[in-house]
Amino acid sequence: MGHVDIVLSLIFLSILMSLGSSRLLELIRVMSFQGVLVSLVPVLIEPQYQTMSLAVAFASLMLLIKGVLIPLMIWFALRKVSIRREVEPLIGYHASLFAGLAMILFSVFISSRLQVVDRPESTLLLPCAITTIGAGFFLLMTRRKAITQIIGYLILENGIYLTGTALAGQMQTHYVVEFGILLDLLVGVMIMGIILHRINSTYDDIDTTFLKQLKG
Amino acid sequence: MLELVFVIPFLIGIVAFFSPVMMGRILLVATGIIEFALACMAAWTTRLPAATFYFTAAPEGCLVLLVTTFLFLIIGLYTLFYLVETDMPREHVFNGCLLLFLGAMAMVAVSDHLVVLWVAIEATTLTSAPLILLYHSKGSLEATWKYVLICSVGIALALLGTFFITLAMEHGSINVPLTFSSLQEVAGGMDALWLKAGFIFIMVGYGTKMGLAPMHTWLPDAHGESPSPVSALLSGALLNCAFLGIFKSYAILHAAGMAQWAGSMLVGFGLFSMLIAGVFMMIQKDYKRLFAYSSIENMGIIAVGTGLGGLAGLGAMVHLVHHSLLKAALFLSTGNILFGYGTKEIGKVGGMAGLLPMTFIGFTCGFAGISGFPPFGLFVSELLILFGAFKNHSFFTAAAFILLLILIFAGISKHFIRMAFAGRDAKLIREERLGRIFPVFILLAASILLSLWLPEPLRRTILDAISRI
Repeated sequence: MGHVDIVLSLIFLSILMSLGSSRLLELIRVMSFQGVLVSLVPVLIEPQYQTMSLAVAFASLMLLIKGVLIPLMIWFALRKVSIRREVEPLIGYHASLFAGLAMILFSVFISSRLQVVDRPESTLLLPCAITTIGAGFFLLMTRRKAITQIIGYLILENGIYLTGTALAGQMQTHYVVEFGILLDLLVGVMIMGIILHRINSTYDDIDTTFLKQLKG
Repeated sequence: MLELVFVIPFLIGIVAFFSPVMMGRILLVATGIIEFALACMAAWTTRLPAATFYFTAAPEGCLVLLVTTFLFLIIGLYTLFYLVETDMPREHVFNGCLLLFLGAMAMVAVSDHLVVLWVAIEATTLTSAPLILLYHSKGSLEATWKYVLICSVGIALALLGTFFITLAMEHGSINVPLTFSSLQEVAGGMDALWLKAGFIFIMVGYGTKMGLAPMHTWLPDAHGESPSPVSALLSGALLNCAFLGIFKSYAILHAAGMAQWAGSMLVGFGLFSMLIAGVFMMIQKDYKRLFAYSSIENMGIIAVGTGLGGLAGLGAMVHLVHHSLLKAALFLSTGNILFGYGTKEIGKVGGMAGLLPMTFIGFTCGFAGISGFPPFGLFVSELLILFGAFKNHSFFTAAAFILLLILIFAGISKHFIRMAFAGRDAKLIREERLGRIFPVFILLAASILLSLWLPEPLRRTILDAISRI
């Protein structure tokens, strides 16, 4: 039981770190860390899954994809890019951190109001999931570099996965189906990486404010 | 085995990645023929899936599958002649992705499990993104970035909605597989609040992909910047697949007795899409974007028809079929116009009646069809939706529907007349060729034929599909 809460607190920490950091390399590292944590949650929350080899195998596969493969792909894309920092986000880092804290408070409030299935294992799970979704959207909306927006999308996806764990429980788990989701995510990041590379070679930057030609 | 319908294009698509260009082109048409045959078999006879848990041949799915595969076959023929005249960079990637895209759409049509449907719809985004990106232009780059990011985020919301529906099941202590067909039977016992929350998220998520306003912002860019055969596929086939996700979820809410609430949401989104499309069509300068906005409008009409139900629901299904045929014909025509004049600007195209007579005939018929003139099918479907609205006593909806159709007709005909007759100083850079024109005529003829005579199995498929709403 205690393990879950530790992992969830670390996820909260990773969210705040992602909101407060301006260096892109550090963002990738935080995202990898968060990917590892998120893959651990379902196995930790239901102790009987630790004895099921299929559940453990799936968790390790997810850990490999979210924690290693995807960050590596983004890192490869970044290596060819000369930009190392996010400059002039629409909302500054201190304000973003503050917004992150506000999001945590808000999601604790929301979770206490929602009538969801009781999960005695952890009361932190749903607040954590909602905060992660919020932080993902926040990064998508307020950052200008394409790479930060990809990371925002991945954090959003992590949040939705956590919500799925919190709400649906393991009742509807089908590893075939979940593997499909994971595969989509992997291919999606690959394609986004290719576009990123193309944006960089066309504009010599990865700022999405250049992408404002098509209008009306 | 029903699954063949998406397994075959996936496998052939992978082969096409590694095969020479000429063979890839032949594979496109060959797969089109095989797929259309398989779709007919799935719709006409009962084909049982091997994995009954994940897939099914639902009537609405069969309808979308038939439309998709028929379009792919005709667009494949067009692509044969199109590729000869363009220098497509990395053509094996183009052919391969086109086939994978077909596979993903076929998978959407036959999936029954909520999450499998989600996976398939996300796969359609990922397999079609390279098709838009292949042209090396700044415009296509921007369009692809917006397409992938906006649609991925939108569809992620639909996954959240799917989780809410599982929660609605858990609250109602229902333990059935998470499939559309089994949820429909137990819909009454599900928790109403979470079911509604789930539908809102699914509506917004798949609505992004379907191009409903205000989530449509990616659509004009992607349809405007991609090569014409791809625009035709995106508009004629892909949007229907996203609509299928909304339609199936709506059927669950209908079975749960919340048709009124969910229907009014669909009608609201639909009318708003028509309004946005009508306004933006007035001020368009690019003819491909003009028809992209027309797709938003038509998806709006389908949403309105589905939301009203009954006779209007029948209208929505008929509209879906004919919109696909006519819009594909129009986008293929825009490809020919682009070949002829070398520009996408409406202001620089002119005197088409004299310069490109064959293209002009196809384009005019397409314009008449998309504006809802008989003998094309949209006349029937729009009339059915209007009758449905009057029958439901939704007079406000009916009035708004008529006014918006007038606005849209005004916008589209203004540009059409400009392109067809005005501007006699426009210059041709390439003559028209029969190979690029006959697919347009096949699509137009199919629309006329289907509005005069509906084959019995197709009629039954349409009626079965709307019996759920």
